[in-house]
Amino acid sequence: MNILPWDLTVIPQRFFQFADAALYTLQITFFGILLGLIIGLVAALGRLSKRQWISALSKAYIFLIRGTPLLVQLFIIYYGLTSIVTIDPIPSAIIALGIHNGAYIAEIFRGSIQSIDYGQMEAARSLGMTQGKAMQRIVLPQAFKRAVPPLGNQLIIALKDSSLASTIAVPELMLKGRQMGSSSFMYMEMFLIVGIWYLIMTSLLSFVMHRIEQRLKVSDHD
Amino acid sequence: MTKQTHKTEETILKIEHLKKWFGDLEVLKDINLEVKRGEVVVIIGASGSGKSTLLRCINFLEKAQKGKIYVNGKQVRQQEKQLNKVRQGLGMVFQHFNLFPHMTVIGNVMEGMIHVKNMPKEKAREKALELLEQVGLSDKADIYPAMISGGQKQRVAIARALAMEPEIMLFDEPTSALDPELVGEVLSVMTDLANKGMTMLVVTHEMWFAKEVADRVIFMDDGIILEEAPPEEMFSAPKEERTLAFLKQVLPPQDE
Repeated sequence: MNILPWDLTVIPQRFFQFADAALYTLQITFFGILLGLIIGLVAALGRLSKRQWISALSKAYIFLIRGTPLLVQLFIIYYGLTSIVTIDPIPSAIIALGIHNGAYIAEIFRGSIQSIDYGQMEAARSLGMTQGKAMQRIVLPQAFKRAVPPLGNQLIIALKDSSLASTIAVPELMLKGRQMGSSSFMYMEMFLIVGIWYLIMTSLLSFVMHRIEQRLKVSDHD
Repeated sequence: MTKQTHKTEETILKIEHLKKWFGDLEVLKDINLEVKRGEVVVIIGASGSGKSTLLRCINFLEKAQKGKIYVNGKQVRQQEKQLNKVRQGLGMVFQHFNLFPHMTVIGNVMEGMIHVKNMPKEKAREKALELLEQVGLSDKADIYPAMISGGQKQRVAIARALAMEPEIMLFDEPTSALDPELVGEVLSVMTDLANKGMTMLVVTHEMWFAKEVADRVIFMDDGIILEEAPPEEMFSAPKEERTLAFLKQVLPPQDE
C-alpha cells in the first residue's frame, strides 16, 4: 500500500486550513503591486523626463533596487529602520514588494511608452495639446495596453516573491507551511499544499490577465 | 477648367530668415516665405531638400535655430503656452496619418474639440459628424482606425485637423504612404477644401494637384527656396536648371 513515505491523503484534509494564509498572500501581493504600479509609473515618467536630475534620480532608484535582493530590501525596511521607525510586518512586506516591483514596472512602462510611435505625440501636440495632456490622453492609454502582458508576468513574480514575507512573520502561505510542517512533521505534505495554493493563484492570475488582454484588443487589427 | 482662387491680399503667414540644423547638417538655409489668406501653396522638391522640415518648423514640431515666424502678424515664440494656442490655428496632416488607434474614428475627430477646446461632448460629436460627412466618412464614425483603408484614415486625419477650425492647413506628403488607387480620394477632399477658401501649404509629389489647385508652386532644393511661380509657369517654363531636372523626373514625358 504505502509506496511513498508520505501520507498524501493529508493534502485534501488539510488543504483549506491554508485559506486564511492564502488570503494574506493575496493581500500583500495586491497592495504591493498596487504600490509598485504607482511607483513604477512615476519612475518611468521620471526616467523619460527631459530634466536631467529627475531622470538621474529615477535611474538611481532602478539601479539600486534591481541590483539588490528583495530579501535585503525587506530586512532593511523591517529591521533596519527600527532605530527611526517601527513598521509592522504586513505593511513592511507591502512596502518592500511595492518598492521592489516598482523598479521592474518602471522599466516595463518606460519600454511601452517608448514603443509608441512618436507621431502619436506629434499629432496630439499639433492639435494644441500640452505635453502632459498628450501623455495622459494619447500615449499612456496605448502604452498601458502594451504593458499588460509583461505586467501580468510581474504580478505572478510578485505573488511568488511574497513568500519572502514569511521571514518577517507575516502569516502568509509559506509561514503557514513551515508552522504546519514543524508541528506535524509532515513537511512534504504541507509544502505540497502550499505549492498547490500558489499554483492555483498564479493560474487564476494568468487567466485574468489573458482576459484583460483580449478585452483590450478591441481596437487592434482584424 | 479655370481655376478659382481665394487668395486675398492679407498676409496670414510670414517666415523670415529661417535656419535649421540637424547637428552639423544645415537643412534649412535662410528661408523666406509669405502666404496670403486663402492661398494654396504647394512645395515640391527632391527628398532631403528640406520641404517637410520647413512645414514641421511652421508649427514648431521642429525647432528652427534661427529666424522668425509670424502667424496673423504676430510672431510665434518657442514658448509652450503660446505654441499650444498657435498650433490650434495650424492644422497638420501627416504622411503616416498618425490617427489615435485607441479611439474610434469620431473619437479621433472629437478629441481636440473636447480636450483642447473644452467643447461639450454633445456639441463636439455633432460637429465631428458634420466633418466626417464633409470627408465622406460619416458611416465609419464608430469603428476603429485599424478597420479602414489608408485613404479613409487620411480623410479622418484631415477631419481631425479641421475640427480645431484652423486658419491654415499644413499637409506633409499626405498621399505618399497611400496605395495609388487611394490617392485620388484624399486629393479630392483637399481640392474641396481649397475651393472653400482654406489657406493651405502642401508638401507633395502629386504634380497633378499642384497644377490644378495651387496658386503658387515652390521648388525647394538643398535647403533653399530655389524658385517659386504660379503652376502654369513653373511647369511649362521653369527658370532654374535644377527645377527643370527635377520636373523632368517627376512629370510624365510629354507626348509631342
